[in-house]
Order: sequence, then C-alpha cells, then structure tokens
Amino acid sequence: MSIQVMLLQLGKGMIVSVEIFILTLLFSLPLGLVISFGRMSKNFALRAITKFYISVMRGTPLMLQLLVVYFAPYYVLGIKISAGYRFVAVILAFVINYAAYFAEIYRSGIESMPVGQYEAAKVLGYNKLQTFFKIILPQVIKRILPSVTNEIITLVKDTSLAFAIAQAEMFTIAKQIAASQTSVMPLMVAGVYYYIFNLIVAVAMEKVEKAFSYYR
Amino acid sequence: MKLLEMNHVRKNFDGLEVLKDISFSIERGEVVSVIGPSGSGKSTLLRCATMLEKMDGGELYYMGEAAAWEKDGKCVYASKKELKKLHKYFGLVFQNFNLFPHYNVMKNITDSLIRVDKVARKEAVSRAVRLLEQLGLEDKQSAYPCQLSGGQQQRVSIARALARQPQLLFFDEPTSALDPELTMEVLKVIRQLAKEHMTMIIVTHEMQFAREVSDRIIFMEDGVIKGEGTPDEFFATDNGRIRDFIGKLSGAGA
Repeated sequence: MSIQVMLLQLGKGMIVSVEIFILTLLFSLPLGLVISFGRMSKNFALRAITKFYISVMRGTPLMLQLLVVYFAPYYVLGIKISAGYRFVAVILAFVINYAAYFAEIYRSGIESMPVGQYEAAKVLGYNKLQTFFKIILPQVIKRILPSVTNEIITLVKDTSLAFAIAQAEMFTIAKQIAASQTSVMPLMVAGVYYYIFNLIVAVAMEKVEKAFSYYR
Repeated sequence: MKLLEMNHVRKNFDGLEVLKDISFSIERGEVVSVIGPSGSGKSTLLRCATMLEKMDGGELYYMGEAAAWEKDGKCVYASKKELKKLHKYFGLVFQNFNLFPHYNVMKNITDSLIRVDKVARKEAVSRAVRLLEQLGLEDKQSAYPCQLSGGQQQRVSIARALARQPQLLFFDEPTSALDPELTMEVLKVIRQLAKEHMTMIIVTHEMQFAREVSDRIIFMEDGVIKGEGTPDEFFATDNGRIRDFIGKLSGAGA
C-alpha cells in the first residue's frame, strides 16, 4: 500500500472522527445544561436521579457504555441491530457521557456566580429567564471555558473508543491497516492526525477565550 | 403621600429574630437615613422593603398599594403581576455596585429599560446620556465596569437605578466598599439628588453625611427602631445609647 493511499484512508476515517466530535458537542453541550438544572433543582427526586446518572456516567468506562448502548437493544429488547444503528449508538453513548461531565462544569460555573448579580437583575425587573440567559449564562460561559476546553480536547482523543463497536473512524482504520501491513506506520500517522486535530481545537478555544476577555 | 409604608415587619433567619415588629414610612421628597451598629437589622429592613427578602410578618405598601400583608398570622405577597408593577416604583443601589461586568456602561443602564420596561432604544440611550453627563461620566459610555474605579462604578449603578425613573431610591451602604476619596464623589451625587428632592432611604455609616442630607434619621439596634428624629433632634438626643453610638462613629472617623 502506497503512503498516499494510507493517508487517504486515514483521512476518510478522520472525517468520521470529526463527525463524532461535532455531533457529540452539538448535543451534549445543551443537554449538559439541562442536566445541571436537574442537579441543582429544589425537587429532591429530580436532584437524586440526576446525581445518580452523573455518578454512573463518570464512574464507569466510556468503552463499556458504548458496548451497552450498542448491544442493549438486541440483548435486552430482542431488537435486531441494523447496520445504521452503529453510528447512532456511538453518538448516543458519547452524548450521554459527555453531557454528564458538562453538567458538572455548568454547575460549578453557575454556583460560583455572586448572588448580587441575581439581586441586581431582580431589582431591575428582569424575569427569571432573562436573568439566566442574559445576565448569568454569558458570565458562566466565560468562567467555565478553561474546563470546557479540557473536556473538548479529551473528546477528540476519546472518539477513538468507537473502535470498540467497530465504527470505522480513524483509529479503527489505522489499526486495520497496521494489522494488514504489519507496520506501525499507520498508527503513527493516526497519532499525528489526532495531534493536529487537537492543535486546531486548542487554537480555536484560545480564540473563544480571547473573545470573552474584554471584561473581568 | 406615603411612598412606602411598612407595618409590624418581622423577619427571622433560622430562628434568629432580625427584625422585631418594625413600622416605618416615608413621604414623597423625604430623605431618611438609617443608622445603627452591624447586625442591627438595617440592611435586612432595606432588603425586605425591596423584596429581596421575604418578610415573615407585617405589611408592605408602595404608594398605598399592598405588596404584602398578613393573613392568618402569615405574610402573603401580592400576585406576580402586581409585584412587577410595584417594582417600578423603587430603585436600589448596592454596597458592591453589582453592575453587570459583561455589559458596558451604556448597556448596564439601558438594557433593563429596553428589555424589561419596553422603553424605546432611542429614549433609553438619551436618558442614559443625560444621567451620565449629570454624574460626570459622559466619557465612560463604552467602558466596561472593570475599567472603572469603585466610585465610578457606584455612580454608574446610581445612573442605572435613576434611569428607570423610580419614585423612591434605596441605598444600601453605598460607600462602604470605597476609600475616603471615592466616598466623597459618591456622596456628592447623593447630596445633589437630595437637593432635587429625590425620595431616598439611605443605610449608611457616614454620620456627618447623614446629618447633612437627611430630613430624618432612624437609629436601629437589635432589630428594633430605638430612636428617630430630625438630624438636629438626633444629634442633641439625651438617649445615652444613641449618643454613645454617634460618639463612637465620629471618633472612629477622626
């Protein structure tokens, strides 16, 4: 296999990895916010359920969660797994896992907000929704950006876990080529790809942080 | 006309009685200072009046309209809609300013006008410009709070409160977070407002200032009003405890 073909095949896998990455963020970032509300709810049952959910998501391996999400429909419900479900299962598992982490990050940010911001908003007549989305959330986002960047960089590398259910993303392909060519080269190239991917992510997040640095 | 009336207000924090049967009212155009040692309940009184705290008992009226009253020994508040209306009658200036750090000065002042009070943007901006000129901050419109001194921030927060054109303005220790020099520039603004007969309730430790601007001074201690009168009456009181307090503060200020 020529090096061009290998780069091309890994590139194709990379596209799938990027898809997993983007879709996971797209769904888990808003879902995490919703879960953080549950975690901070005044309702005891809701709080207990979300707390348990977060502890399971953080307390068990993501690879195991992937396998459960992928195989549960067949083993538990007896539904035949269709070919298209593989990718759906990857996204589903990543979203519910990352949403749990993001929920805790949101919570830390929201709870760190000084009560005076809420009081000022109340006295000025803002309702609860306006207070949260216009006054509180923008400041929370600024506060949590460093932690979110951390998670996002981890996510780039975690996309490789999709190989556990044979999703054809970059790592799975790199492993297949490496096995068939008996060469470590494809794995090295995959490493470089991941590194570049994360370099781009880091630069982008730095830009975002800078965009928020106009105030303290 | 009574702008604000509070009757038999009670407030507990975890069983600790912070306000014990306080009755109090203010007429239009009056400037009232509330003084007293830390923990006397003066800030709590102000927070109950501005509905940042819920009272455990008593009545609260704005312009004769009930915000809260007692029913079966419990304090009940008016409907959300009614309270929203009453909220327009007053403004509050905080000790720590509580400006919105992510908004510039202009937006801090105009955002609630536009978003909450549905004032046209043009009108909101012209109000803000006028107020900033009055307060000597005309060149700070696009500055962010973090770029301003404490005194400037407090003046912006006064502008933010005034822009809503309240009937009554509360100040919760407006200079306690400021050094003496910055304190002066904020007191100057409040003094000017007093001259313009803005109705104000000021919780403060600045004795001389209270004496100078107030029509009436209220002395609070242990959750009750221990004395009340014009500044002249107040500073000539034969109430030993008040004399003691004034003496201590004046001594500390020297």
